Amino acid sequence: MESGILELYVLGEVNPSEKHQVEEMALQHPAIKAELDAIEKSMELYAVFNAIEPSDNLRDKVLNSLVTNLGDDRTFKPRTTHATEKQEAKVIELAQQKSINFYKYAFAACLALLILSVATLFAIYNKLENVNSQLVTMELQTQKFSNRVNLMDHQLHIFRDPSFKIIKLDGTPKSPKSALAVAWSPSKQQVMIDLSRMKLPANDDQHSYQLWALVDGKPIDLGVFNATNDSTGMIQMKSIDRAQAFAVTLEPRGGQPTPTMDNLMLVGKTE
Amino acid sequence: MSRRTKISLTEEELILALRQREKFAAEALYDMYSSSLYGVIVRIVIDTAVAEDVLQESFVKIWQSFSSYSAEKGRLFTWMVNIARNLSIDKIRSKDFKNQSKNQELENNVTFIDEQKNTVYKPELLGIKDLVEKLKPEQKSILDLVYFKGYTHVEAADELGVPLGTIKTRLRMAIQQLRKSFN
Repeated sequence: MESGILELYVLGEVNPSEKHQVEEMALQHPAIKAELDAIEKSMELYAVFNAIEPSDNLRDKVLNSLVTNLGDDRTFKPRTTHATEKQEAKVIELAQQKSINFYKYAFAACLALLILSVATLFAIYNKLENVNSQLVTMELQTQKFSNRVNLMDHQLHIFRDPSFKIIKLDGTPKSPKSALAVAWSPSKQQVMIDLSRMKLPANDDQHSYQLWALVDGKPIDLGVFNATNDSTGMIQMKSIDRAQAFAVTLEPRGGQPTPTMDNLMLVGKTE
Repeated sequence: MSRRTKISLTEEELILALRQREKFAAEALYDMYSSSLYGVIVRIVIDTAVAEDVLQESFVKIWQSFSSYSAEKGRLFTWMVNIARNLSIDKIRSKDFKNQSKNQELENNVTFIDEQKNTVYKPELLGIKDLVEKLKPEQKSILDLVYFKGYTHVEAADELGVPLGTIKTRLRMAIQQLRKSFN
């Protein structure tokens, strides 16, 4: 006890066999245990007396390194410091890789989504264009039908109107196969010719047909019209309230003040 | 300066909590012992950055090998300070460290550090300073060489040029004096 071995023991300055010896003695002799305890307390206080505060930020750093693997520590008791340190480093590396992988996948997913979106947008745009052009076509068609309906409504109106008389003009010896129907309402002073039922040779660019009304033996101009192979519908001519007959002559383009009797094509009496 | 209140437990409570790997045990361990251990480490390795590394390594080793500590064989601090001192000595004997600090003068480092650093103020130590000063210079120097500079008592004998037996006696006398001071 007087040799100083206990002090050296506390200072960690003994070899393993001496260490074992001191521990055995301490177990057997409470006095030695008490002496050791007193020496330890003294050295501990001496250390406190000489203590130096480390920098403030070291606390968090140290505590973080201690509790990083707290969960693991609870499950697996570490065998050696070295092995655990290695393990610890591995865990950090994996965690980092995981997060990098996560961002990689997230980026790839975003890119794929972007490409898909652009493709979808393009397809939808094309479809919209198609639908738009179809809509335009439909509108045109609707317009056409509505025009046609208007026209037919107009014609139907004339045929239903009891004031209208249908006068058939027959071909003269100059053009025996020709024919034309004239609808005339003396009370409304309206004259219409039905182009779809007209049978007249097509006129050329220098000539046009002219309709005349014969009133008390005098011819009165009722306007000009052209005959083509695909004429349809009805056209309105100049108005007249009285007529004994209608006639059509072929005249130079634009018509003449008086009919050229040589070119009389059609004639029909009203009575 | 607003400082965190430090956690303080009795040694028995702390040991129990450390065995159960409680997070607060790690905090209490650091708060209760970091400055005492750092005082020892920094006097051995001198460089404060290296000392902080060694302090961290010490706590990691203490935390990880805590299952090998047995309260019957001695106080917790004795076990911890031996770990810290051994890691410090390993550090200054490593090749890297020797190359780094070839030109450092070790002789007056303890007083140098004491002048540079704010040592921790502890109310329970009031008046003890004078008693510690009562240590005879040859007692203090041998104690500091072994405790704070990591010399083995054999190296200390060489350094001071006195027989090994004298070293042991002076060491014992120094600690006896401390015990008187602290009781």
